[in-house]
Amino acid sequence: MSDSVTFKLDGRDVAVPKGWTVMQAARRENVHIPHFCYHDGLSVAGVCRFCMVKVEGRPKMEIACNLLATEGMVVETTSDDVKQAHKWGLEFHLVNHPLDCPICDQAGECELQNSYMKVGKYKSEMHRPKVLKPKNLDVGSQLILDTERCILCSRCVRFEEEVTKTNGLGIFDRGDRAIIGTYAEEKIEHNYQENLVDICPVGAFTSKEFRFKQRVWFLEEKDSICNGCSTGCHISMHGKSNELRYYRVKPKHSAVNGHWMCDEGRHSYRYLNPEERLSRWWYKDNMNERIAGGKDEGLSILARKLKDTNIDEIALLVSAHQTNEEYEALLAYFVKELGISKVYQWRQDHEDINAFDGILLRGDRNPNTLGLQNALTKFGLKAEVKNEFEKCLLSGAKVVIALCPESPQSFPELKEHLAKLSEMPFVSAWSAHYLPEEIETISHTVPLKGFVEKRGSFTNHEGNIGELSDPFPAVIHGAVDVCEMIESLRELMG
Amino acid sequence: MAVFTPQIEEKIEHYLQRYETRRSAILPILHVIQDEYGWIKDEHIKELDEKFQLHRVHVQEVATFYSMYRLKEPKKFRILFCDNVVCCIMGAKQTMAKVQEYIVAYEKAGKDCPFSLEGVPCLGVCDGAPAMLINKDRHLKINPDNVAEYMERYAPLP
Amino acid sequence: MGDTITKVKILTQYEGMSNSRSLSTYKEHGGYEALAVALKKSPDEIVSIVKDSGLRGRGGAGFPTGLKWSFVPKTEGKKYLLCNNDEGEPGTFKDRYILELSPHMLIEGMIISAFAVGAQKGYVYTRCEFFDEIKWLDDAIKEAYEAGYLGKNILGLGFDFDLDQYQGAGAYICGEETGLISSLEGKKGQPKLKPPFPAVSGYLGCPTVVNNTETLSAVPWIVKNGSDAYRAIGTEKSPGTKLFSISGPLKNPGVFEVPLGYPMMKLVEEDAGGLLEGEELKAIIPGGLSAPVLLPEDVKDLTLDYEAIAASKSMLGSGAITIIPKRQCMVELLKLIMDFYHHESCGQCTPCREGTGWITNILEGFFDKSATVDDIDQIYAICQQMAGRTICALSDAAMPTVGIINKFRDELVSYIERGTERERFSYI
Repeated sequence: MSDSVTFKLDGRDVAVPKGWTVMQAARRENVHIPHFCYHDGLSVAGVCRFCMVKVEGRPKMEIACNLLATEGMVVETTSDDVKQAHKWGLEFHLVNHPLDCPICDQAGECELQNSYMKVGKYKSEMHRPKVLKPKNLDVGSQLILDTERCILCSRCVRFEEEVTKTNGLGIFDRGDRAIIGTYAEEKIEHNYQENLVDICPVGAFTSKEFRFKQRVWFLEEKDSICNGCSTGCHISMHGKSNELRYYRVKPKHSAVNGHWMCDEGRHSYRYLNPEERLSRWWYKDNMNERIAGGKDEGLSILARKLKDTNIDEIALLVSAHQTNEEYEALLAYFVKELGISKVYQWRQDHEDINAFDGILLRGDRNPNTLGLQNALTKFGLKAEVKNEFEKCLLSGAKVVIALCPESPQSFPELKEHLAKLSEMPFVSAWSAHYLPEEIETISHTVPLKGFVEKRGSFTNHEGNIGELSDPFPAVIHGAVDVCEMIESLRELMG
Repeated sequence: MAVFTPQIEEKIEHYLQRYETRRSAILPILHVIQDEYGWIKDEHIKELDEKFQLHRVHVQEVATFYSMYRLKEPKKFRILFCDNVVCCIMGAKQTMAKVQEYIVAYEKAGKDCPFSLEGVPCLGVCDGAPAMLINKDRHLKINPDNVAEYMERYAPLP
Repeated sequence: MGDTITKVKILTQYEGMSNSRSLSTYKEHGGYEALAVALKKSPDEIVSIVKDSGLRGRGGAGFPTGLKWSFVPKTEGKKYLLCNNDEGEPGTFKDRYILELSPHMLIEGMIISAFAVGAQKGYVYTRCEFFDEIKWLDDAIKEAYEAGYLGKNILGLGFDFDLDQYQGAGAYICGEETGLISSLEGKKGQPKLKPPFPAVSGYLGCPTVVNNTETLSAVPWIVKNGSDAYRAIGTEKSPGTKLFSISGPLKNPGVFEVPLGYPMMKLVEEDAGGLLEGEELKAIIPGGLSAPVLLPEDVKDLTLDYEAIAASKSMLGSGAITIIPKRQCMVELLKLIMDFYHHESCGQCTPCREGTGWITNILEGFFDKSATVDDIDQIYAICQQMAGRTICALSDAAMPTVGIINKFRDELVSYIERGTERERFSYI
């Protein structure tokens, strides 16, 4: 017996694995069947009744999301009666929807709005007063809920039940009085709240973080890999390159993270914006005064320092936040070409590397632990994950090149570590993040590009390679990545 | 102070064991609580969650979905008057107006009226229309002329 | 037919007996004899008998009972038999009458049916407001356990069956079989998506049969007297007797057991004693609130069987006959009907949740004089798009509305044109 079935979808033969629904088939084939409650990452609820299709020989229209594709079945998604059903399906959703799009954050990425355009239901049939419900409710540290905008698709309830298993949301009461909410005035506390904003097809859930900051149609989206932990969720960064600002992070569907990502990961954008970034090259001038200077001067000071120092007294302190390509360039130059042997791993003091929250977030809060291990092994260095920060401090090195972790939210000891480093004779801290007091006492700094500003890859906890393929221009003028640094140093050192 | 009396806790435990799943016991347990305390309070739902592992969202969904559960402090006598088709044909609305008059008269006497009135869908006794329940007592063939007599049996006008 | 119809008493055989609810009375008149017969046969034989009898579901849909039973997979494992005793269809009060007369008939019917479908556990889901009836059934279940009709090794014939009663909490939708299952699972009584069907995956995901009280109560008689005896009653396609609950301005409203195919006007005029003095017939709702209304000329020669009523574009439904008198305003009636569905929509499916509210909302305009004749067409259009588009049949509530518009459009139009002010009651 064959494991696939072939059926006709709008006159075209489509073969899909047995057990697939017409909705799944249509999504793969890019046939758009309008829907609200269906979501690829959740169980089928079949309640919005929007995805009506016609099956030849059956009296009633059926919903594509719960319709098993069977051999020889003939399905229509665009006939006049189906279109009529879609128009009405939409109309029913609009009956009590407030239509406050001009002040709604969801505008521009609202499935109700999109359907309105696609289905073409321009004239409202509803002339009576609407049902009013509570608005602007604080239901979580990241969430605002407007129950009037809610179309009761139950995606959020299913997410709470099936993904986080917290059951934080329910639909209370019944009929058109039904209302989404938490119990009493409880707040949703978990680390996956913003997924509720993502899956909400309308503007019922909006993100406290993003609310009223930006109209979504002004945002550019570029794909990247989250640097918050070793899971390496596929993401897209939303920002405006003309403003040199990032606004938010959204998960991208992939085998690594499914449809979701954690809130902590989403907050990485905060540390990429200019005010959080190391923006200057700091070093001491001829008068031994610390100044913020230019790239050329900064580079030549570092090159001179390296030249003047015995190879045995140079150390590398490397966090697991850089890309595979950067480790390759770094180690190829310092270890293979220059023969440096003091290479130390820089990790969190109190990490539980094997911790896992059961959904996505891992105790290893570094995006590229495995990538760094692979690179170390390749260049003949010991490969065992451990924090060698203290060891580096006690190494007696006269010059330390420190590749800093990128954000303090995944590296709570960053401040403290930098303070300790500033006591060493000469440290060149290569960092994207700016910690004014600490950074400014360090002998030499190099402003690095953020992870969404460079090309390269991270190797996640299970060896999956995530590509950083579509960078934003750096929001810091003169920021470099490690590869560019090595190239410049190689030139200067001759 | 304990939220439930030991007797009620025992009944709750009984229902939790009685069905295939603990969740199945939510409806019967809410009936037990309402029979005992008159209505279902937030503290009851919290206690069911914390002490008996019935998720508060699940309990609240049930408590708000079904129309017989009371989530506000009730009057002593809850009148559920059928206002569906048959009872209305037989004069339910006119009779309910009389119930309302009785309540107003009670309040005018400066007393807190012990009755509340709600219209409810068919009570399944259309052969005795119009029909009403006062708490759990069923009364049939109620009309504008005799409804006050029924109410007086529970609480005569002061 | 006419006067020659002999009324066989099956469900109402204990009518008029003192202590009819007690086990002793029930046994004295042949109760639990069918059980002994059944348990000596094979489950398949029982299914065949019920199939051959032509018994159809008495809850409203009229689906052949034996056929429904045959959908249950023959696999090992937990199976459930649920009795839908959530009588909530307005105008219906027949199941209540069975509990009032002979709860043991239901219990016996359930044991036999459970044996037929291989269920080890049964629940009777009874509507909340039947406080007395719940007690009567609980008492009867207790008696049956004590007498060895329920529990392990029933009558020493090797069949185990446990039965329990579950009280609803006020939701019409729990009379829908999957809504009932959700409720029994301790959830909101929201109907479940089909497929899967309950016979395959019902209560807690196990194969489950849901039958109406009246259906199950007919099973002992059928098993005892044979399918031919049952088929000899009623019509060819609608065999057997049925309980009709008839109400409205009648001299003798109540529950009557008559053979299917019985003339409707005979039931109205003779059994129910005809209309009260001064009342005149305007219309009849033949099968519970969701059945489209019929005019006097439609029912003049109408017989009470599934086919005849369907042919008149309404339905037999639960057998609830509601008499609408001449004085009844049809706009008021329409509003009462839609208020009910609006109140009872579970809110899960959008077309029903929003549609019932929307129609009620438009109907408000009839009373505040803002309605126009176009509103009638709009209600009609909304109904067309609601019906058949949802998980369960509650959105078919549109049907009685369409029925009223079809038959009483002139009255609705003149109501709008007159701008009638509705009598307002302060209780709301």
